[in-house]
Amino acid sequence: MNTVAFSSWNGKIVDNRTSGNGAGKTKKPAEGSCPVSLDGRSYDALMGWNGLVVVDPKTDVVALTLAYIEEARKLSCGECSVCMIGIDRVRDILQGLSAGKGSSQDITEIEDIVKGVMANSKCNFGRASALTPVLDSVKYFQDSFLEAGKTATAKKGAEKNFQSAVTAPCMKACPATLDIPGYIELIRNNKFKESLELVRERCILPGVIGRACTHPCESACVRKDMDGSLAIRLLKRAAADQDLQGGSALSVPKEEKKEKIAVIGAGPAGLAAAYHLRLLGYGVTIFEALPKGGGMAAVGIPDYRLPKDILNHEIDLIKRMGVDIRYSSKVDALNAADFQKQGYAAVFTAIGAHVGTKIGCKGEEIASDDVVQGADFLWGLSLGKKTKPVDRVVIIGGGNVALDCARNCLRLGFKSVEIVYRRSRVEMPGSKEEIEEALHEGVKLTYLTAPVGIVRKAGKVAAIECIKMKLGEPDESGRKRPIPVKGSEFSLKTDMVIAATGQKPDLGLLTGKDKGTLTTAWGTIKVDPVSYSTATARIFAGGDCVSGPATLIEALNMGNKAAKSIDSYLQGKTFVDELSFEGIDVDRQRDMGFVPPAKSEEVKFLDVAERLKGFAEVEGGFNADAAMKEAQRCLRCYRLMVWQ
Amino acid sequence: MAKMIINGHEIEAKAGATVLEEARKLNIDIPTLCYHKDLSSFGACRLCTVEVKIKGKWQLAASCQTEAAAGMEVRTDTDNVRESRKLAASLLYFRYPQTAVVRDMAAKLGVDVQAAADSRDCILCGLCTRTCHEIVGVDALKFKDRGLARDVEEPKIEFTPSTCIGCGSCAFVCPTGFVRMEAGDGKRIIWDKVFKMASCSACGRYFAPVEQLEFISRTTGVPVSQLMTCVSCR
Repeated sequence: MNTVAFSSWNGKIVDNRTSGNGAGKTKKPAEGSCPVSLDGRSYDALMGWNGLVVVDPKTDVVALTLAYIEEARKLSCGECSVCMIGIDRVRDILQGLSAGKGSSQDITEIEDIVKGVMANSKCNFGRASALTPVLDSVKYFQDSFLEAGKTATAKKGAEKNFQSAVTAPCMKACPATLDIPGYIELIRNNKFKESLELVRERCILPGVIGRACTHPCESACVRKDMDGSLAIRLLKRAAADQDLQGGSALSVPKEEKKEKIAVIGAGPAGLAAAYHLRLLGYGVTIFEALPKGGGMAAVGIPDYRLPKDILNHEIDLIKRMGVDIRYSSKVDALNAADFQKQGYAAVFTAIGAHVGTKIGCKGEEIASDDVVQGADFLWGLSLGKKTKPVDRVVIIGGGNVALDCARNCLRLGFKSVEIVYRRSRVEMPGSKEEIEEALHEGVKLTYLTAPVGIVRKAGKVAAIECIKMKLGEPDESGRKRPIPVKGSEFSLKTDMVIAATGQKPDLGLLTGKDKGTLTTAWGTIKVDPVSYSTATARIFAGGDCVSGPATLIEALNMGNKAAKSIDSYLQGKTFVDELSFEGIDVDRQRDMGFVPPAKSEEVKFLDVAERLKGFAEVEGGFNADAAMKEAQRCLRCYRLMVWQ
Repeated sequence: MAKMIINGHEIEAKAGATVLEEARKLNIDIPTLCYHKDLSSFGACRLCTVEVKIKGKWQLAASCQTEAAAGMEVRTDTDNVRESRKLAASLLYFRYPQTAVVRDMAAKLGVDVQAAADSRDCILCGLCTRTCHEIVGVDALKFKDRGLARDVEEPKIEFTPSTCIGCGSCAFVCPTGFVRMEAGDGKRIIWDKVFKMASCSACGRYFAPVEQLEFISRTTGVPVSQLMTCVSCR
């Protein structure tokens, strides 16, 4: 976009028109001052929470404004006096103008209503989005509105092809784009069942995600810098927990389709894809290598963070809607032709990333019980493998796997548990809560230290040689690069070493030419980033085996998307993803107004002494009343955008 | 106790009290349609708006939802406050032009109110839903949620007959008369559900719906048989 005819984005007026109010005041918009494109697609004009942007000067702004108001009306909850009634009143006036029955008095009234709605709405949709851009359109395109009756633009408006999309700061931050204000509002109104149904549309493991999610949504919450973010994750958990008492079933397919689909792996990605494909009416078979389902949620996340009955219940619900899960059924060769012969129209590969990567230090190559991979350690523990505690264990790594290993070791009775990480605490990829809880429970964290070699005495691990590190310039990951400090080597006594520095997928199932064409330089499966299809027809892939080790919700989202993409493929349609709002600042709004402070509801955590006795769940949840109270804090920051 | 200023008066606010409660203690008139002292605040009517000084700037705030805090400065009678209340009242009047309580409020706040036939509309104040949840504890009344991808044309209150005990609290608290309760012939009709009334074992007068007595029995453990006497005969 070189230039726009008009923009009021972020309240900054750019007007390159040759006539109209404020014409010719400013030239060309500054770079980044308004949305340049919508996921790479150009547009003629758009209206959004932060303003109006007109690229094509021939755009019918009156029709666009009416279309925006129609969409805004759908989003307004209608519970406070000003927002929805204000929208209706403005719509009435605009329709009157379009019918040729209006005057400049009407423009003044619209301005008064819009300002009143922005200043006095109960929620942030009313304050930020409901009518805000309408103020700009009636102000800067007043002539078009006053003359609208002559051109009968309202009638034409209905025929115009407008598109719309909705986001919110929390929704954009959520990898699976859950309708967070929506499900919170349902909890606020004491509708836990409906709330859970809404969550399940994009997150089929609500109890799991409600416990183990890294919740980027909460970092984006508008309340974060006021009186603290909403406890979004715990609200989702509350909806799931309430349901455990009632016990709902998942929706059944409306119609059965003739095609069958194979899913490899019953982790979050595989389960999500299976659920959505089944709901669309396909027959779905999941082949799972392990004797149980859940992937990393089952063999990665420890019981004290996620009791396994929660996970198993949610997998059971998916099974009960007719998904056939075959456990202990490892697929050794991913051969498209073989699957087709067995009657599967498509294959979704979601095998995860379970192979630990080497730490890269001397002595690591010798196989022994006292030098183990973090992933294998957690895996063994969750499959019932007995682990005898030793006095001292050193865990290498700074992610959640390292933290999970450490906290498990404490519970197993290891006396001294130390995590060694090569960067500092700020750069640790593990979640903040996990780090805090680990320290609270007695895990020792040693920063800016890297392993150099494992020292054995009589075949047993005796120590780990380490070197001190310092931080240099940021690397390609954006984190500061650790640099060894010469001559700072030291020895750390230990009886066991757990390596938790990373994981990659086991791509042994790729055969023939697929080995080359389906593998990336990082040892993951190569897919189209939108459709999750691979270079081999009928083979799709998603989850950690595509992204490398990521979060449960990211894997789950890939399963959601892949299911829709597979459906489009089988129905001969082109898969089009929803608008991502990428490159558009959804946090910014013109004026926040005053938000009465309201303290977040608190949950109880198990005492450390109790925790270390076993694997009981550490974090308590909200009961129904606490959840409803917390839900009342949601500002409902929906952002609407309508474009042409 | 927190020292704060309302309209220039320095007061000692009670811990946890709202600005609305403190202002009313000073006999300052603050209009409300969705507030009730025994219920949690809802902030829907937007009529109790006041101005609060935040970082040196006067900002509009719903006084029913704003907790009084030490050092807070509040104004309840400025042009900005009056205009804001008037706009909210005029929008309510636009939507419910025939509902007495809205008409009276709009007229009081300076809206030009025309003569009209009487009607009893639901103004979505949420008094009934909060009473049903917070006081009665049966949750027979809930807001029907509108919003993203939810195909609900108009906002409204949903009634769940299976959980209603016919206590009539919603009719009592409703400010417009939308919730109607009719009685007669040993029956009570509310939200179109017909309740059988229990007659007092002593005087024979119909005094409460059977379902309400059963609910009280369930929640207190007192057998229904012991609840069959009316208050005057007990």
